[in-house]
Amino acid sequence: MKPPVFASWLLVALAGERLAEVIAGDLEEEFALRDPRGASGWYLSQVLRSSIPLLSIRTPQTALVALLAVAMPVLLLDRLWSFIYSQIPLKDGLNRAPEFLIVNLILVCLCAALSRSKPWATFGAAALALWVSAGHAPLLYSILVLTLAPASVWRSR
Amino acid sequence: MKWVFRIVGGLVAVLILGAVTLLIMGHRANANHIHSVAELPGTPAEIWPWINDADKIGKWISWVVEVRNPSTYSVGAKRVVVMKDENNGGQTMEIAGTFSEYQPPSSMTVQLSSAGAFDGTQAYRLTDLGNRRTRLEIDFDFHFTSALARLMEPLITPQAEKKMVSDLDRLKSLVGQKAAL
Repeated sequence: MKPPVFASWLLVALAGERLAEVIAGDLEEEFALRDPRGASGWYLSQVLRSSIPLLSIRTPQTALVALLAVAMPVLLLDRLWSFIYSQIPLKDGLNRAPEFLIVNLILVCLCAALSRSKPWATFGAAALALWVSAGHAPLLYSILVLTLAPASVWRSR
Repeated sequence: MKWVFRIVGGLVAVLILGAVTLLIMGHRANANHIHSVAELPGTPAEIWPWINDADKIGKWISWVVEVRNPSTYSVGAKRVVVMKDENNGGQTMEIAGTFSEYQPPSSMTVQLSSAGAFDGTQAYRLTDLGNRRTRLEIDFDFHFTSALARLMEPLITPQAEKKMVSDLDRLKSLVGQKAAL
């Protein structure tokens, strides 16, 4: 008898592969001893009950890495573009030149790949950076950042 | 620890390479200079108010908040253009101009200065092309006050040039609308 697939997947998603393996080992020992009729429900309830503690263990570190590695470089680059535009003798608005947006996109993907953070944390950090940036984010650019940054993490893992 | 040194070393190398590239690019022939040309419908006398009058300047130069014109126009007269800087938290910035040449309706040169930002010279030339067409040429030479802005000049000037082209496109469309009426 095997534990429910959804509960196993949820455990990996919440705890990460290494920690999930350890927790699943303990859960499966007790799962095997239980009445088969209620074992799946019990297993799922155990995973759900552990979800908040597991997220609280993992989120700070993962989110911090994503914030430092993805959001911060993009925001620093945004400050640089703001400085450049503010130095234009007759001033200009918040629309950024395509070449600047391409540099942003390359940097965010590179930083995301190097951080080896979680895709969801990278997505969140990239979304935060887009939201906080002073420069306008055109729709296509936003879509590319929000899809390519987490994809870069997938490829590097 | 070895990786930390490698990452920090890599970042420093990238920054040095970027700074050296910018320094080299800063010595190109057209550094600190913008030249823009537009052919406009109308005679030079009809175009002149668009580069001279306070109420018209703000219509085609974006981010102008206010223009304080001198009471009498002549060499030495002063004009202040107040601009909104969206990239600096929406702060307003004053650009003081002194006319060093004033020959309506064919040319004017203004010595510009903005405290802590730049000093420069902006020259406007209007050439009658006949058939109610006028060529407007704007030459803008500037010098940044801060060392960081001077380093970033190769990135700033192309954006300033793009801004001037879009302003001139707006002027062209406004003058065209006026001529059509």
